[in-house]
Amino acid sequence: MSAATTPAGALPASPGLVRRFGGDGGFRTVTALVAAGLAAILVFGGALAGGPLGLSPYLVNLVGQLAAFALLALALDLIWGFAGILSLGHGLYFAIGGYIAAMHLLKHGFAVSGVVPDFMQFMGWSEFPAFWWGLESFPYALLLVVLVSGTVAFLFGYVSFRSKVGGVYFAIITQALVYVAMLLMFRNDTGFGGNNGMTGFSVIFGFPVGSAGLTVGLTAASLAVLLTALLGLRWLMTGRYGRLVLACRDDEVRLRTLGYRTLWLKLSVWCLSAVLAAVAGMLYVPQVGIINPRLLSPELSIEIAVWVAIGGRGYLTGAVLGAIFVNALKFWLATRAPELWPFILSGLVVLVVLLLPNGFSDAGREISRLGDRRGRGRTLESLRRTLLRERGA
Amino acid sequence: MNKFSRRSFLRTSGLVAAGITGSLAMPGLIRPSLAQNGSVKLGCLFSSSGTMANIEGRLNDVVKMAAAELNAAGGVLGKTVEVIVSDPASDWPLYAQTGRQMLQQEKVAALFGCWTSVSRKSVLPVVEQDDGLLFYPLHFEGDENSKNVVYVNSPPASSVLPAVDYLMSEDGVSAKRFFLLGSDYVWPRTINKQLKGYFASKGIEPAAIREEYVPFGFSNFQTLVNQIREFADGTGGQPVVILTTVGNSIPDFFREFANQGILATDVPVLGLDALEADFEGLDTAALVGHLNCWAYLQAVEAPENDKFKADWAAYVGANNVPYRPDVVIDPMVSAYDSVKLWAMAAEKAGNFDVPEVRSAFAGIGFKDPSGYDIAMTADNNYVSRGVFIGSLNAQQSFDILWQSEGTPKPEPFSTFG
Amino acid sequence: MQKFLDRWGRLAAAVFLIAVAGFSGAARAQGTDAAALDRPGFVAGLCGGAGPMAQAIAGGLESLAAASPEDVTWMAGIVAALGARQLRCVEPGGLILTAGAATDAVTGATVSPPGSPRTPVLNLRSRGAVENLEAALTLLSSRDAPSRQRALALLSRRPDAVPPTVFARATDLAATTAERDAIAELSVIAALSSPDMPARLAAIAGLAAEPNRRTLLRLETLREDPAYGTDTAFRDTVDAAIADSSFWVKLSSVLSVAYNGISYASILFIAALGLAVIFGLMGVINLAQGEFIMLGAYTAFMVQEGVRSVAPGLIDFYLIIAVPFVFLVTALLGILVEATIVRHLYRRPLMTLLATWAVSLFLINLVRVTFGTQNLQFVTPSYVTGGFTLVGDFIVTYNRLFAIVFAAAVLALAWFVLQRTGLGLNIRTVTQNRDMAGCIGIPTRRVDRLAFGLGSGLAGLAGLALAPIYNVNPLMGTNFIIESFMVVVLGGVGTIGGTLIASLGIGQINVMIEPLYGAVAAKVIVLLLIIAFIQWRPEGLFPAPGRRK
Repeated sequence: MSAATTPAGALPASPGLVRRFGGDGGFRTVTALVAAGLAAILVFGGALAGGPLGLSPYLVNLVGQLAAFALLALALDLIWGFAGILSLGHGLYFAIGGYIAAMHLLKHGFAVSGVVPDFMQFMGWSEFPAFWWGLESFPYALLLVVLVSGTVAFLFGYVSFRSKVGGVYFAIITQALVYVAMLLMFRNDTGFGGNNGMTGFSVIFGFPVGSAGLTVGLTAASLAVLLTALLGLRWLMTGRYGRLVLACRDDEVRLRTLGYRTLWLKLSVWCLSAVLAAVAGMLYVPQVGIINPRLLSPELSIEIAVWVAIGGRGYLTGAVLGAIFVNALKFWLATRAPELWPFILSGLVVLVVLLLPNGFSDAGREISRLGDRRGRGRTLESLRRTLLRERGA
Repeated sequence: MNKFSRRSFLRTSGLVAAGITGSLAMPGLIRPSLAQNGSVKLGCLFSSSGTMANIEGRLNDVVKMAAAELNAAGGVLGKTVEVIVSDPASDWPLYAQTGRQMLQQEKVAALFGCWTSVSRKSVLPVVEQDDGLLFYPLHFEGDENSKNVVYVNSPPASSVLPAVDYLMSEDGVSAKRFFLLGSDYVWPRTINKQLKGYFASKGIEPAAIREEYVPFGFSNFQTLVNQIREFADGTGGQPVVILTTVGNSIPDFFREFANQGILATDVPVLGLDALEADFEGLDTAALVGHLNCWAYLQAVEAPENDKFKADWAAYVGANNVPYRPDVVIDPMVSAYDSVKLWAMAAEKAGNFDVPEVRSAFAGIGFKDPSGYDIAMTADNNYVSRGVFIGSLNAQQSFDILWQSEGTPKPEPFSTFG
Repeated sequence: MQKFLDRWGRLAAAVFLIAVAGFSGAARAQGTDAAALDRPGFVAGLCGGAGPMAQAIAGGLESLAAASPEDVTWMAGIVAALGARQLRCVEPGGLILTAGAATDAVTGATVSPPGSPRTPVLNLRSRGAVENLEAALTLLSSRDAPSRQRALALLSRRPDAVPPTVFARATDLAATTAERDAIAELSVIAALSSPDMPARLAAIAGLAAEPNRRTLLRLETLREDPAYGTDTAFRDTVDAAIADSSFWVKLSSVLSVAYNGISYASILFIAALGLAVIFGLMGVINLAQGEFIMLGAYTAFMVQEGVRSVAPGLIDFYLIIAVPFVFLVTALLGILVEATIVRHLYRRPLMTLLATWAVSLFLINLVRVTFGTQNLQFVTPSYVTGGFTLVGDFIVTYNRLFAIVFAAAVLALAWFVLQRTGLGLNIRTVTQNRDMAGCIGIPTRRVDRLAFGLGSGLAGLAGLALAPIYNVNPLMGTNFIIESFMVVVLGGVGTIGGTLIASLGIGQINVMIEPLYGAVAAKVIVLLLIIAFIQWRPEGLFPAPGRRK
């Protein structure tokens, strides 16, 4: 029987279902894992800096990057898994956060050390342009990240949702938009460093770049934000708002008929997702030390969707685990068998898409369902879920 | 949320925390430092996939070939040289990430890598933070002088300006007007900025210079070649094109240029990044006479070059790598030189520590396949190389039109920027 | 350029004449013609480095008017050998080396192949002069019509590079009246400054008959001429000629833009057509479409290699021979992908996006490891190389013309399949209403599979058409994918007409913006326009009948 016609495991079609079937069963474990990682980093951070334990700052940095990716995946899962709207352009918001973070770091570094960044030299600037005003202050930069990503998402979302652009069309248009942004940012004239982007950050929060303390701090911050996002989204999605979002995904027309203004519902999830992605970008850039238009490449944006699909769409933990699994594998293979990576990734995607329609989060349930089939057959409930899933996808 | 059991949460957290600490500590234990197993590691940062793959990927194999040559001669300081190859996939931030991994995890003694300036700029902070060494085999825009990068190829003052001088001379074409066409990123932009400064110093009016940029990977050159024809038909003296596009934009440009019937004798093109390998798959009969300038050309007549070409052909044959055995390009020679220079410096220093290897750089050198005695300068990490101007022939390679007397001293910072 | 060469040519000729003055005495003593060419001196000049080479070539050009036919033939041989890099320099004199055999350049006697002689390298200055000399020699010595045509075409672009006396001699030798006229046109530049006013006026008319930017520029300089102020007839002729030329020049630039737009549009169209068929029918976006384009080009390459080994005589026609192979191979691959992957995902279009993306990643890397990343070496048949000047400065390049004609053929084929065959009828039916089509007994799944094959086959044909234009390497498909989507989405789902109009529009707008704001901005503006348009009309220009997907 093909995957398309068999009932698959439960999407959390409604909170009731979530509870009955255990839903995000792994949620507790994953949240605990993140919390534990945070605790470990904080407790042993000092020792790390000194190095007696032999902990490698490289791995700590990697954990931090994975946390940023996980947050990004969470943002996409929110809009795709829960609201049923696939964006193939979330790199745009990730990059907005990244660029503003980079601007902050350059300005902050300049304010602290007085050394003119390399970036200004090749841009041919003697001073920062006017719109960089105030960016040396972190709170202002953070505010700007939220405002810019939120505004861009709002404007784009408003026109798209109002003209009821959805499904594949929406995915393609978001992809085109991120491509346009990439082309724009590649231009030197745009003023954000062109193809080179921005690099050469010297100081972050007063710590010199590359110091073990800073690595630990950034990783801890990323884990903390991820943990907060996990808990916050869990709370939001199991509440009334979350139920409305799921209802909108499953049957928007009915919800509208019932008098709900789905435009604003979708728009709010969309903006929240964009801001989360931007925050992820803001955490990511100080850790890799460079931002450039590659973050806006359409392939990266597709890859985000791939993380979510592999981990399990519609599960908060699925997104997190998918992002961590795929990226950790990628990092691990980078120096061992780089030529294998594309084959493994494409194989994984095909495998997941065909056999585990909701990613690895479903794996256990798929297997137990195979055992179930002999005994019970299709219940009304599983039929209903199949219908919902097909419409939702 | 309310179903959270605090006790189970804490218990899981504790276990996981212990696990993570353990696993973070593990690699340090299972990965002994490089000295113990009798080998020393070198890292490669060249893309074998993505837009640069066609031209950049072969450098991985050159580094391997050079390492095999070192090993055949007994290794370096008694240690076998082991090459670790990665694939940054033409993705600039990934160069930084992979570089960090090479330095911090694999503990490589030196990195060899990058083609585009963008990728070098992304690896730069990484090698500076960890005090690593990056050997960079491409000629580039200059204006950079890091103690952690060895600039094996030439900055523009010692490679591009001689070529432009040649074009402006009577032996060239007495060029008076310049169409600067490049990919939109830092290398073309900086080169063109310096060229404009240089032209100004030669009394050439800004009106005689036109500057255009195309996106990375751009291929539809129809309109731009039309613009070049229009520019060429104007008055004011001999026009030339100075081409700073990279990657696949080079062959696509030349194909359109030839199809619109422009000969090198009408409007010559000086392709600053154009290499023999860019013309694979092109009919160059209609392109004969276009120019490039590098620190090495395949047509060099020197025993060192014959050996290098024979070695490469043998390597390709023996290892079944997907590159042409009969095409050798400057960055390949430069990558080969890089490995040799590193080995010489390490031998001189007596160990592989970066600060000591670096202080051993001054003055080392050898006769490389270009036939010149290349040498590292004493005051920075640049290498004195010769300069060749090549003229494209119908066999997809370049004849040597002009070559420098000796090896000019490299000037990292242009006075014309 | 012309002026420069001319000036240099004259200067070098003077030097050369002084240099050969000494030889002429000896020549006279031997009782030969005074104008006889100094063959050893010429060869020595070619072998003497950049300066002497330039002098020898310029001197050779000057001497052509009076040289004996034997000398012209001899010189043609030497210059051809120089261009083909068959000339070798030894002490003294030179050799012509062909496929292992060596002949003395001066006497033509067979000699033993030398050890390691030097090959003279042409610098740019000499290369230009050699091209002119070669063309002049062809006019004076060759009976081969195509090479005479080529020589005339080259000289018509550099009319003042060759002394008028050479043209006079060539006119006498001209085979046809058409050729005589063409040669006469070449000498108008000299006549422009002739003291004889009727000859001048005729020359101006002659220039105006060949309107382009260069002749227009030359005509405009005549307004500075003293005669322009005094002679009304002269002034009127010049003004009329300028007005006439500038009209044609303007027209030719408009035509250029239109041609560039159409050629870009034809590429967009063939790249997007397969996608449109699949999207219209199944609501499935095939992200691997670009890779089917790439595979089409690779199949064409395999066919080329096959033709090379089986029937080398047909190698020039491999592009045509490849058409059925390319279509079949890519269509079968498409059907394979449909049967193994896409089939399972019809109710989940968003998952199809990811699955086909994985297919594209897989195909790119499969080709990368099997063929390597380098650009494939295609034979470029004459019908896709070069171009011809249609009017003014409007050059029609053959490879683009090939793509345009090919796109038109593909359009006709696709239209025929969809409108006139049973499969087409089924496809249209299923596109309009899948459930109803199923109810009346159309095997919708089979139709899907065949349509997917058709779409993939069309993509493969796009790869074939693109092979003479772009580089063929594993990544070539990725360049087209986003633009093809935009064409499909803009055109409206599932209509060939919509796809055609959308690609024409996008191509033309792109080409018009490019000279104004640059290539990047053109792409950005066009994409933003499309995104805005979709917000306004989500179903594209021509919404498909039937329910919204």
